[in-house]
Amino acid sequence: MSFDILWFAFHILIFPGLLFIVVMGVLLMGINNKMVARMQNRVGPPILQPWYDFLKCCGKETIIPRRAQKFVFIGAPILGFAVLITAALFIPFGGSSVLSSTGDIVVILYLLTFCSVMSIVGAAASGSPYAGVGLSREMVAMIAYELPFVLVLLAVGKLAGSDSAQGVTFSLATITEWQTAHLPVICHISMIPAAIAMLFVIPCEIGMHPFDIAEAETELCEGTLTEYSGAPLGVYKLTHCVKVYVMTALFTALFMGGITTGMVVVDVLIKILVCLVVTFLSMTLPHAVCARFKVEQVFKFYWTFVSALALISLVLVWIGL
Amino acid sequence: MTQLFDQFYNFVGTDINHFPIFAIVTLFLGAFIIAIVGKLNKTLRNVIVFIVTIIPFLLMLSLIKPIMIDGGVINYWMGNWAPVGEWAIGIGLEVDALSLFFGLIVTLAVFIVAIYSFTYMNRDSSLENYYTLFLMLSGALLGLVLTGDLFNIFVMIEIMTMTEVALTAFRVDYDGALEGAMKYMVVGSLGSSTVLVGIAMLYSQLHTLNLAQIAASLPSHQNAVTAAAFAFLFIGFASKAFLFPFHPLEADVNAVAPASISMIISGVITKCGVYAIIRICYILFQNIELPAVSISVTLLGAVSCFICVTMAFNQHNFRRLLAYHSISQIGYVIMAVGLGSMFGLEAGLFHAVNHTLFKGLLFLTAGAVQYATGSADLDKLGGLVKKMPQTCALFLIGAASISGLPPFNGFASKWMIYQSVFEKASETGNFVYVIVVVVCLLCSVLTLASFIKVAQSVFFGQLNPEFNKPEVHEVPVVMQIPMWILAGLCVLFGVFPNFIQKYFLTPAATAAFNVTNYIDTMLGQGTAAKAGIQQTEIGTVSSIGCWQPVSWLWLLLIITCAVCLIAVLGSNDNKKHATALNAEEKVSDLVGVKQSGAGRLNNVAADASLKGVASDHLLSDQELIIISRDRTIEDEVLAGEDPKYENFFSGEKSEFSQVGGSDLFWGFKHDMRHYFNFQKDWHSGNVNDYTTYGVAAIAVTLVLAILFL
Repeated sequence: MSFDILWFAFHILIFPGLLFIVVMGVLLMGINNKMVARMQNRVGPPILQPWYDFLKCCGKETIIPRRAQKFVFIGAPILGFAVLITAALFIPFGGSSVLSSTGDIVVILYLLTFCSVMSIVGAAASGSPYAGVGLSREMVAMIAYELPFVLVLLAVGKLAGSDSAQGVTFSLATITEWQTAHLPVICHISMIPAAIAMLFVIPCEIGMHPFDIAEAETELCEGTLTEYSGAPLGVYKLTHCVKVYVMTALFTALFMGGITTGMVVVDVLIKILVCLVVTFLSMTLPHAVCARFKVEQVFKFYWTFVSALALISLVLVWIGL
Repeated sequence: MTQLFDQFYNFVGTDINHFPIFAIVTLFLGAFIIAIVGKLNKTLRNVIVFIVTIIPFLLMLSLIKPIMIDGGVINYWMGNWAPVGEWAIGIGLEVDALSLFFGLIVTLAVFIVAIYSFTYMNRDSSLENYYTLFLMLSGALLGLVLTGDLFNIFVMIEIMTMTEVALTAFRVDYDGALEGAMKYMVVGSLGSSTVLVGIAMLYSQLHTLNLAQIAASLPSHQNAVTAAAFAFLFIGFASKAFLFPFHPLEADVNAVAPASISMIISGVITKCGVYAIIRICYILFQNIELPAVSISVTLLGAVSCFICVTMAFNQHNFRRLLAYHSISQIGYVIMAVGLGSMFGLEAGLFHAVNHTLFKGLLFLTAGAVQYATGSADLDKLGGLVKKMPQTCALFLIGAASISGLPPFNGFASKWMIYQSVFEKASETGNFVYVIVVVVCLLCSVLTLASFIKVAQSVFFGQLNPEFNKPEVHEVPVVMQIPMWILAGLCVLFGVFPNFIQKYFLTPAATAAFNVTNYIDTMLGQGTAAKAGIQQTEIGTVSSIGCWQPVSWLWLLLIITCAVCLIAVLGSNDNKKHATALNAEEKVSDLVGVKQSGAGRLNNVAADASLKGVASDHLLSDQELIIISRDRTIEDEVLAGEDPKYENFFSGEKSEFSQVGGSDLFWGFKHDMRHYFNFQKDWHSGNVNDYTTYGVAAIAVTLVLAILFL
């Protein structure tokens, strides 16, 4: 009994819990930065730079603007981080997930939304006009990527649920099992548009460069983060890193889950490799190649092009291809 | 405790059959007593209102055990006019679990509104009229959900509509109050008359008005007339639930009615429409299983949901915005009800009760804001979190619930709705339901977006100098208590959905499917079998079941605490922090004058540079306006500290604007401008147009019903 609890605590805190999630997030972010730099012919920061940033932020003084609502201002980043870690625990990574429920896709979807909402609420509480504009842009970005995201999730759920009695599944465990029994989802021709759509959703959900309209440094002084400093800023930065891990791991679980060799270590290494490839495709390439989009461009892009890709997959899956 | 309950039920015995009529009569009696003695003494009046609203609530609570848990049905013949042969002549009350479910919603909301009104309405005159009308309205609502007679439903709807009209116009001095009431009267009468026509047609065919008897004889008397009657009844009740295309009316009414009445309109009156729709579709006509009915009802819900949530984006008035969201949520309910599956109905009922809780809470907070500041204009309010922290917290709970964020109740019920719609989609293989799921999920995000706009423009952002005075402060405790009750229920329902499902949703949904029981209780055993109505297979709820949040909520809590601890340990200690702030303040005090002078110059330079940036189209013009206007405010605040500088910038003072309000979603609105312009055109606010939409809706429904039924 006590061993079970210890094991559970190990899962939550070490692997695949808090520690692993944070380390993976920092590494993926660092590698992404490095790759972007190399592609632009720069040397780039060290891979652990996000971690150094976090440590340095924690050592700095926290200044709370006089106009800010103190409690919300400090509480929002912390709650956002906690919510994100909880969401990460639902995602299986080389083995089963720590937490699971019959509808964990919807739970993850909502927890990710909650995390974004926390950054918005924090920005709102700071009382700065730059943060105000930033949060409105963040919200528009959220509306933009949510539609294709939902369509992708439905398409995968429908495909992986085709064996079950309900005909659709919202459970990541079922999706993983289905992929073990059949091929990984991405091997189905009909799902390739959805995978591409998901690759586009990832950078916008995280707020990476070509889609970082909410934090646009040159126009909005970091937008939602304008007034933040010290430890809360550090937590935001760390949340940002962890989001990279959560989204890439979600992609892996949805499209390339169920690949098992029987050895956990090898499985995890394979997954990490896949995460790296996803990071490269969805974040590094657009970052290195594109300039920042305008707000209305992001919205139009996601509601037409990306949604259309996801919808094609959904329709194809629905008619049984 | 159980012993106490047993003793109570033993003591009451069969007298429990009288409880429903007691509950209705208490409210009506209260109305008449208030009309007589209300003028005499304020305390006496409030005590009477408190007593006559809490008694029906307690009576309904005491009915939970015999009806919800033991699965009984209470029938009561008024004046003991029991059926002769198989003909029901008198008026009967019939309370099954479905009726009781809505009865509980009504009585709870009425009780809460009554407490809230004591303080909220204290600045108005002739309150005895308010309470008389309010209690009449409550009695009508309760009567509507408890009655077993079709004509009685019509009578209650009439009382409801007319008292509602009077209450909307209660604050006559408000801009548009009379206009809103007039619109409600015209369109509401249209809806009531439609119901009456439907009842007349049914009576001409079946020669009875008793719900159970109609249900028993309808299956063998299906023809074009009953199909038309269905259409009339459906659209009449849909107009009471303010579904598309009746939704503009609700916005117009809710913007002007007192907030307490807004809560009744959007929280309870719409629920009565939903109740009546469930009653006619599931019990009376038993036609919800037909694909045509199911798909059209679900689509009606989806359309209402989407149109209203996008309309809410354009609103500048807090309460209008809430009103549109209210219909959007009712759209969710109707969507789930239209599925015709056990799980779908449970989801719909759950969202219905949740809607009463969170929408009630939001309307009450809107009322509190209006009470404190005298304004509901999103463009004028702002920064109230400093003035009204409790109201802000309550609003955030309500907003999180309505946007369906876990762990609040909106998430639990919306989650059930997604599941049930998708389940239906896979069962029938109909792609329409997939579109409906996507609309559901999208509307959820849009709801969230629009509540963030409200949060930003009412509670966060910058405090409007107009409200920066000591008179603007937190509302009295008496007003807070009802809001905290609702907020607490929002959280409880979200954390323990299994409990609610087991004791409330499943019995209510089972009752809606159990037509034979409904008929037999009223007209004697075996009537239903004689009429050829088969005991319907009561579907089992799929294994998906409810959402069980408790386990990982603990986890979330633990992680939050851990992160808090790290953050506290990691950051500098508070003492140093405080001194730093003090020092900063001192410095800013010292250089305050210089700052505001030099700051202005800097700002001019910065504005120029901003414009330079904007010329590259990085910042939109609108955003630029927002930023520069906010700077003006900042300057004004600085200038306010030193009166010397007030003289210079008076010209801008009336031009107060801030981030928030209508500007927040300009990117979204810009891309969707054709859609929004179209919407703006046909939500004209003209009662003639509203009536036309209503008549068109009747015509379309009539054609559909005659073609497909």
